[in-house]
Amino acid sequence: MKDLLRTNSSLQEGVENILNLQCKIESDASNKYLAMASWLERNGFENTAGYFYAQAEEEREHFLKIFKYITEVGGIAITPTVGEVQQEFASFKSVFAIALDNEIAVTNAINKVIAKCRLENDYATEEFMMWYVAEQREEEKNARRALELFELIDEDSATGKFELDVQISKIGSAE
Amino acid sequence: MSEFNQLKSNVLFETANGYSYQCDLTNSIFINFVGTTSSYKVQDFLIFQRKVNSVLILDMLYDLSDQSDAQLIENTKRNFSRTLTICEIVQLRELLNGTKFTLNLHSLLNVVLTLEEA
Repeated sequence: MKDLLRTNSSLQEGVENILNLQCKIESDASNKYLAMASWLERNGFENTAGYFYAQAEEEREHFLKIFKYITEVGGIAITPTVGEVQQEFASFKSVFAIALDNEIAVTNAINKVIAKCRLENDYATEEFMMWYVAEQREEEKNARRALELFELIDEDSATGKFELDVQISKIGSAE
Repeated sequence: MSEFNQLKSNVLFETANGYSYQCDLTNSIFINFVGTTSSYKVQDFLIFQRKVNSVLILDMLYDLSDQSDAQLIENTKRNFSRTLTICEIVQLRELLNGTKFTLNLHSLLNVVLTLEEA
């Protein structure tokens, strides 16, 4: 008798489930950044709003990359539901503090996926997920740099907020 | 007769209300439940199984309205489309979960035996 499960997919159910969960996390991250971009734009921070619009796009690409991988290896990719995200923020700085917390949570989730791959001996998915490890290192670095700029530039000075808006938007781009 | 034996050897799971078997020729799973036979590709079977498992049986039990006594159960390509009672849903669940267990067990045995051969 044929092994129909293996014939159909190289993905084990446990790995498939955790990848679908990761899709949801990346998709939610995209929505959170979109809400941040909206808040920043309506509060006059046009440059950082642009930065978060780009981040939202990037997170959506991350989500789609996993989504396509699941179907590519024969799994069942489940479209994540759209949940509620925070729309209002206490201050300019709090947006970036929340963004860093979010990136750390995503990194932890990626690590869990890799731990699961190792447990299930799924080295192909582990290799695929390694791209995300490098990506998260970069994302966390950028999020920390944004908060660092708040230490370097006095937000309450005459042009502090304006300068922060300009400098933060340059993070990650070749200057 | 040999075809019958082949069919018997490919039976995955059997309950009082139905049975399932695997067709190696078409890479399909056949489910016979309360007199209806439907065939599934593996992915469709897995989606169908998840769908049946996701029916909120307790909510149906606590809901006293008439419409919650039964629910329309359909699979992706609609070769199974029936309104099932709560009891039938539980029975279908048993059949599908048993089938899935056998598929997993078979897959696991294949991995173990292949490793031993190597």
